[in-house]
Amino acid sequence: MKDSLVLQSRVPAHPDSRCWFLAWNPSGTLLASCGGDRKIRIWGTEGDSWICKSVLSEGHQRTVRKVAWSPCGNYLASASFDATTCIWKKNQDDFECVTTLEGHENEVKSVAWAPSGNLLATCSRDKSVWVWEVDEEDEYECVSVLSSHTQDVKHVVWHPSQELLASASYDDTVKLYQEEGDDWVCCATLEGHESTVWSIAFDPSGQRLASCSDDRTVRIWRQYLPGNEQGVACSGSDPSWKCICTLSGFHTRTIYDVAWCQLTGALATACGDDAIRVFEEDPGSDPQQPTFSLTAHLRQAHSQDVNCVAWNPKEPGLLASCSDDGEVAFWEYHQPAGL
Amino acid sequence: MKCEHCTRKECSKKSKTDDQENVSSDGAQPSDGASPAKESEEKGEFHKLADAKIFLSDCLACDSCVTVEEGVQLSQQSAKDFLHVLNLNKRCDTSKHRVLVVSVCPQSLPYFAAKFNLSVTDASRRLCGFLKSLGVHYVFDTTIAADFSILESQKEFVRRYHQHSEEQRELPMLTSACPGWVRYAERVLGRPIIPYLCTAKSPQQVMGSLVKDYFARQQNLSPEKIFHVVVAPCYDKKLEALREGLSTTLNGARGTDCVLTSGEIAQIMEQSDLSVKDIAVDTLFGDMKEVAVQRHDGVSSDGHLAHVFRHAAKELFGEHVEEITYRALRNKDFHEVTLEKNGEVLLRFAAAYGFRNIQNMIQKLKKGKLPYHFVEVLACPRGCLNGRGQAQTEDGHTDRALLQQMEGIYSGIPVRPPESSTHVQELYQEWLEGTESPKVQEVLHTSYQSLEPCTDGLDIKW
Repeated sequence: MKDSLVLQSRVPAHPDSRCWFLAWNPSGTLLASCGGDRKIRIWGTEGDSWICKSVLSEGHQRTVRKVAWSPCGNYLASASFDATTCIWKKNQDDFECVTTLEGHENEVKSVAWAPSGNLLATCSRDKSVWVWEVDEEDEYECVSVLSSHTQDVKHVVWHPSQELLASASYDDTVKLYQEEGDDWVCCATLEGHESTVWSIAFDPSGQRLASCSDDRTVRIWRQYLPGNEQGVACSGSDPSWKCICTLSGFHTRTIYDVAWCQLTGALATACGDDAIRVFEEDPGSDPQQPTFSLTAHLRQAHSQDVNCVAWNPKEPGLLASCSDDGEVAFWEYHQPAGL
Repeated sequence: MKCEHCTRKECSKKSKTDDQENVSSDGAQPSDGASPAKESEEKGEFHKLADAKIFLSDCLACDSCVTVEEGVQLSQQSAKDFLHVLNLNKRCDTSKHRVLVVSVCPQSLPYFAAKFNLSVTDASRRLCGFLKSLGVHYVFDTTIAADFSILESQKEFVRRYHQHSEEQRELPMLTSACPGWVRYAERVLGRPIIPYLCTAKSPQQVMGSLVKDYFARQQNLSPEKIFHVVVAPCYDKKLEALREGLSTTLNGARGTDCVLTSGEIAQIMEQSDLSVKDIAVDTLFGDMKEVAVQRHDGVSSDGHLAHVFRHAAKELFGEHVEEITYRALRNKDFHEVTLEKNGEVLLRFAAAYGFRNIQNMIQKLKKGKLPYHFVEVLACPRGCLNGRGQAQTEDGHTDRALLQQMEGIYSGIPVRPPESSTHVQELYQEWLEGTESPKVQEVLHTSYQSLEPCTDGLDIKW
């Protein structure tokens, strides 16, 4: 297990600041990092080394909390504590801020692009989730303001192929949203965590969702469609979501991020105990009650809290992580034999 | 000399018991020494009533828009406060007696009509009869106040239109009848937006002045002797009642002392076992009784867009507009109205309801890309009928069937243009010393304050 996760390289991404979040571009060639220094850095390889290719430093006045690439890879969105979201357009070798989205009353915690590229979601300490629509002229319009959460919203993520949005909150819940008529509505509330839900991730099929929490557990939720053969009750035509597995006992502190590899199905977590862990579903386990095994556990992956883990979308096993220590680390994960 | 109520044992008990007694003692007169079961039942009813909580997040105004002090004042605007005043009127200490006046918003009436399966006029009579059986002295509707609000908005728009230029931007004029929107504009948006807000007071604010100033003088009462309650479709109107404390024209007295939502009133009605006789609504003019409910032209709003549009078309371009055609744009809560002549657009008005449309309007306004002369802004999607004080189910969602029913009922109410009211013209002379007098500016217009939101300096882990 110890050799399952091997350090490839480490870079001081955001010196004297926290590095909050990482996002790979769709082709897996670039990694965007953001942090407490109000900057976004773009990392790419030259030879065997990860090099900072761009620094985006003029867009925000406070911490940049999250970044997200558009599905086409030509735009980068950044969510900041200055209450704005910047949209950057990628040119040959540089990025240009083409618009700034305003409206949230305070810190924007997360931003995410829908798989179609036409919609963007943001969430904030003001407890709201906003859905924005992009038109052909790069104009952004607010199509919905969702006030379903009762506290600070930490993260938003889109379903891998459908226009289904999920959000995680300080109110201990995960909420799901879908379009209804010309507005968006909350169609499910996932309750079970006993503390802040910091991050959520869909599995490759989009039928399951992983959530991680201050309660030191990862929960796996499964979608049940109306008329499902398991007989799980649904209200009307909306699917039901049920917790089918809880990973507890593995983490000693808050789990800040969970990443579900779209290529291999491996689940990585970022923890406040400075460790990175990887789990894999046991091959023969019951789909209604899956079990996961810990396949990698790297203590002291960073010298401080690990804030984010991100699987490369094209290269299986390539995992990036970042920390309060300001560093970004690149790891190679090797699936243990027998899985 | 003590009245019968003061001699009862209950008088020395806590106020909540008095409130409870007050509810039950009208109409059905309980005998002395009511049975313990009866008392227990009444107590249960009271607690159920008291448990009806108000969550400001139900309307647009959110936590950052309301200070702690305001939160305390808001919590005093409850059915309990209303019933307490009613109860004081039954004591023999006349120094505590208040003349109780209730004003009902036109958007609340479809709620009661739907609830009791009555026509709007019959519903207003039912409501009026019930309120009077509780001990309310006068029940008015706020349509006449809306007349003033709209007429002043019309004049203001024409003035702004003439004064507007690239150097001095006076347009678009944004309506200010919605307290949730005004609160948001003041507390969150601030200076870039405030100059565009129409300064004409909202119908509720005007009604407060009508009752506490005009009506008070007419009845030879001081403003403090009147307790003015407004029945409204949304909770944000409670916030607006606090704003009226800023007025200097009422000797510091508040124009509206308490706002109760349609739902809160309905709850009192349902919990009461009073047998009620229907009574016609009062008017501010003793000479006549209005027999039918009327409203202004608008899709569940107070009617500012339609009536300002017609007035502007006539005043600025000599065009007589009969029918207003609303064109839905990007969603069902954003509509556009245009005046076109010879292929040229002379006027472009919009209705923007709901927070998402407000946001898009604000962003375009800041970028100088908002193509409208006038925008009617309401915080609630689908407008005032969808106020959370009446169109909400138990679990906090919009009751779509009820809303649709109310919209049908509201559209069936006859429309009256504000210019057609002779009483309003009389009041301009009798009360306000003329349509262009300084008193009009003082009584019918307000100003807005920009309060910069504080920013947390701490960059702690979020």
